[in-house]
Amino acid sequence: MRIVLIGLVAAFLFASCGKSKKPEDQDFLNSLDSAKKGPSIDNEVINSILQQIPSPLEISVLLKESGKKYNAGILNSTDNTSKYNSNYKKALNLGIYGTDLGYTNIYQQNQDGIKYLASIKQLANELNIGQFFDIETISKLATNSKNLDSLLLITTQNFNDINKYLQTQGRANLSVLLLTGGWLEAMEITCQVAAQDPKNKELKEKIGEQKIILEQIVLLFSFYKDDENMASLLNDLNNLKAAFDKINITYTYKESTMEIVNGVAVIKDNSTTTIDVTDEDIKNITSITNSIRNKIAS
Amino acid sequence: MKKITTIVLFVSLVGLGSTELASQCNPDNFASACIPKLASGFNFLKSYKVDGEGGAKDKVEYSYVFTKGTQYMINLCANGATTDGIVVSLFDSGRNKVATSKINGQFISAIAYPCNATGIYYIQYTFDGSTNKCGGSALGFKR
Repeated sequence: MRIVLIGLVAAFLFASCGKSKKPEDQDFLNSLDSAKKGPSIDNEVINSILQQIPSPLEISVLLKESGKKYNAGILNSTDNTSKYNSNYKKALNLGIYGTDLGYTNIYQQNQDGIKYLASIKQLANELNIGQFFDIETISKLATNSKNLDSLLLITTQNFNDINKYLQTQGRANLSVLLLTGGWLEAMEITCQVAAQDPKNKELKEKIGEQKIILEQIVLLFSFYKDDENMASLLNDLNNLKAAFDKINITYTYKESTMEIVNGVAVIKDNSTTTIDVTDEDIKNITSITNSIRNKIAS
Repeated sequence: MKKITTIVLFVSLVGLGSTELASQCNPDNFASACIPKLASGFNFLKSYKVDGEGGAKDKVEYSYVFTKGTQYMINLCANGATTDGIVVSLFDSGRNKVATSKINGQFISAIAYPCNATGIYYIQYTFDGSTNKCGGSALGFKR
């Protein structure tokens, strides 16, 4: 009988050990100083909105492929890293530096990229999520332009892993800040590049279509109104949204067609969107974006 | 006493066994395996777990903002060479179907979608005669 009991206790311990919380997870939870009050809605809803936010890398690729030159001057200087003292600022600027790293990677500016990596690692460590950045591997990849695909893959995976981890830890508020910082920096880069080329219709449309993403970000922030920092940023984002509200996006659905090419279902999308955006809209959006981004990055 | 001992042992073994069965679907592995299978020139964006939870779920859905002028690829990975009956379909924000990986009864393992209309899209995975209802998927983009 004693053997049976010992066996049962061992079986119970074996079955439950996978569910225990690691000590470092607890340290991480204890370290947070922002938005301690959780949102009053289901985390699944927040996570499903968070995963919609597109990667800032898409905009960097657009800029590179449309022939725009690399401009380090529009990025957030890595010298600012030590200024970020709260987890609120650290998370936002981790997102900003993430976008800047993607931009330097796309333009294969390896020396600048390594500086951004160091800042990212520092902020991630301070947020107790540094374990997701394999800085040695990334630095090695960054030294050779032939490794661009691997470099982009590993950095995207690292940021995805961070977001997943934060969401599973019930701290999606940091994930919201990280993604918002990343999006704001992509907006800042696009607006600054567009300001140098005001007749570029594609860039104007690219800015205009961000209305859809901003609506999702504002929705996310509305769940965290109880947090002073996030409520203040929500106020700024609502000002930006007011500027975007003047832009009309018209969607026309038309059934798509498909064919199989080399084992891939290739779709011909017959739907369209038209984005009505004026120079005045772009001017307002650029000004408000710059003001919010500088407030965060300073 | 022997009877009670036997019952207790049986129940605990069944308990452990069911824990083991539930963990048999490892969609993370399938999702990771799908990333390098994105066609050349596509940059990785997201990986998705497709876990039908042994039949408890008849669909798994994610969403993403697709942008005009960008081409996206979504691929599927499951046990064996085929997609094990897993179908990926793409719906626009008005829930109109814009793409599917099941064409004329044929299960295709990847769809390429050159987006012409910016908006929120729903990436939906369903199980059509799937044995394991378990797989993974990756999303990539190129300009």
